[in-house]
Amino acid sequence: MKILAIDTSADETSVAVTEGRRVLSNVIYSQALLHKKWGGIYPALAKRAHEERIDSVIQAVSKKLVHPMGVLASIDTVAVTNGPGLAVALEVGIGKAKELAQKYKKKLIAVNHLEGHIYSSFVQNSQGNPKKEFEFPYLALVISGGHTEIVLFKNHVTYQVLGETIDDAAGEALDKAAKLLGLGYPGGPVIERLSKEAGNFDFYHFPRPMLKSKDLNFSFSGLKTAFYYFIKDLKSEEKNKKIKELVSSFQEAVFATVIFKTEKAIKQTGINKLVVGGGVIANLYLRKKFRALAKKYKGDVYFPPYQYLTGDNAAMIGVAAYYKAQKKLFVSDPAKLDRVPRLSLVDNELKSL
Amino acid sequence: MKIIRLNEGAVLEACKIIKSGGLIVAPSDTVYGLLADATNGAAVKKLIAFKNRPWGKPISVFVSDFSMLGRLVKISKKQKAVLSELLPGPFTVILPGKQRVSKLLESEKGMLGVRIPDYSFINKLLHMVNKPITATSANLSGRPAHYNVETLLHELPKKKKDLVDLIVDAGTLPRNKPSTVIDLTNDRLKIIRQGDIIFSKKHSFVSDSPHRTKEIARFTLKKQLTSSFRPLVFIIEGELGVGKTVFVKGIGEYLGIENIISPTFTVSYEYDVKIGNTKKLVHFDLYNIIDPQEFKYLGIETYLKKGNILCFEWGEKTAEILNVLKKKAKIIFVKMQYINEKKREIAIKL
Repeated sequence: MKILAIDTSADETSVAVTEGRRVLSNVIYSQALLHKKWGGIYPALAKRAHEERIDSVIQAVSKKLVHPMGVLASIDTVAVTNGPGLAVALEVGIGKAKELAQKYKKKLIAVNHLEGHIYSSFVQNSQGNPKKEFEFPYLALVISGGHTEIVLFKNHVTYQVLGETIDDAAGEALDKAAKLLGLGYPGGPVIERLSKEAGNFDFYHFPRPMLKSKDLNFSFSGLKTAFYYFIKDLKSEEKNKKIKELVSSFQEAVFATVIFKTEKAIKQTGINKLVVGGGVIANLYLRKKFRALAKKYKGDVYFPPYQYLTGDNAAMIGVAAYYKAQKKLFVSDPAKLDRVPRLSLVDNELKSL
Repeated sequence: MKIIRLNEGAVLEACKIIKSGGLIVAPSDTVYGLLADATNGAAVKKLIAFKNRPWGKPISVFVSDFSMLGRLVKISKKQKAVLSELLPGPFTVILPGKQRVSKLLESEKGMLGVRIPDYSFINKLLHMVNKPITATSANLSGRPAHYNVETLLHELPKKKKDLVDLIVDAGTLPRNKPSTVIDLTNDRLKIIRQGDIIFSKKHSFVSDSPHRTKEIARFTLKKQLTSSFRPLVFIIEGELGVGKTVFVKGIGEYLGIENIISPTFTVSYEYDVKIGNTKKLVHFDLYNIIDPQEFKYLGIETYLKKGNILCFEWGEKTAEILNVLKKKAKIIFVKMQYINEKKREIAIKL
């Protein structure tokens, strides 16, 4: 089954053609360069850029594939992210998906962006590599600029959210710390590099929020406040001199919290197989921490096998859609499909019942 | 002494007892209170006997609305403006009395504490009785307040129980503190007792925890929901980490939305509301906005409809669209400042 998938949930315009778990073609038009200048997503540009780019991105995807009737005629299903995400951005992708589904008389599948990240560790290249099979259940983590979630991934398309952020996302916390220190956007990569230079050492031991709470939820706003207060009292030359120590300590506080909660989830559920998706897992130091955790519990951890799969992309949406198609989870009335900016995985599961 | 459950019939029964000069223990928006007809000298004497309260120490009263309030105390124009900010709510304000209630309730200097509660049972009772009712907590003087009837009964000797004619049992109340008592008799506003919501100076509150910040948000929203027929726009200003998202979470929780998170990454999130006349809550975070051109693409104008509530974090950036907002919506400015790492000052301006 060939699926054309579209994701415009935030600042990437991405379209992919997938078949099962294999990605036949995936194109991402990133606005990150544009947004770098602004220090974050820039909605006007996001909407306009999505609108301007989507057709050319679809064309670019098609170019890589050859089919006598044209690639769009050869696909079986259209899939699109309907949330969570920026409303004005989601609209562009959904509008285009509806248009294509109608024009080519294809069924439509709505995919939760988080499902995409959960499936991202199982996405294969066009040759079908890597070949690892599913061994349910998993604990799935999504750690990105917009999300921080621990999900019980029971079986295909069956999820239970065990914990999530109640305020800021982990990636957002890193971005904000970087901005406070004048390090630019996105904050994650530069923080990773500077922290590494400081030996990833925890110099200041900023508070780890929510460690005492019994649940698996995250909160990073208290850490943000503590960090703001800490550097407020520093002279700017001192701040600049200590910048590596500061970011390394901050990163450690964020990651230690993520690992602590994951360990708690392992203990609570007895599940020692982890899958971790989202932009923050591009960080190699965090991967190391996850590997150590999995080893401690004699389990395994899987990450997206290719770098582009950590960020937002349509390939993972196409693969998630394939498993939804297996369960006949098609949109019954495409005209009524609307974006749900705060779509949660629970909603999705209820629909599948 | 009779104990009844809090239900529709309870108001009628309570009304009969108040009118005949009886004493009632009943739930309120803060703690269990002791209710008696404030204009009936004998009833008030009975109440004072129950509380072991020294003579001459004033006892505040519940009133149904501003018109009843005006009959009991003298209010200047300036005071009236402050009052409309505070009431109804968990505030008792002290003002010069007009000697319309039992003189045992007013202070030696003739001051009277009054409050308009925000609790359906008491409000209905006040309207039915159409007289002020005493608003003192149902504990003995110098003892902690009660949040359920069992602990109250446990504390009371038989002699005291015999003074009470009726107990209205609403189970365990949320652990709200007794009301904040504010003295308005002088030019400068003075706080006599701190309740849950701390009123630091005109239009401004102090929060010492995220929980309090949410409570202040709920309190602020509640007032606006009843008085506004236009969409509500909260413009929230304040530094990173001061608690802007927490404030919006408080608004959301009042509307039954429990899953609000920071919208920084996506700039805005919208939520459908299924409570009351409110339709949508739209939560913006303008942290990343630099160019005012941006506003065109956020769909703000389409959200400016009756029944919608819009919250803007980093509201200082709304300057460009403030005129549009003002024309179509009721604006509530919320300015949040660090007092220290734990405490915040939250100023509300309408």
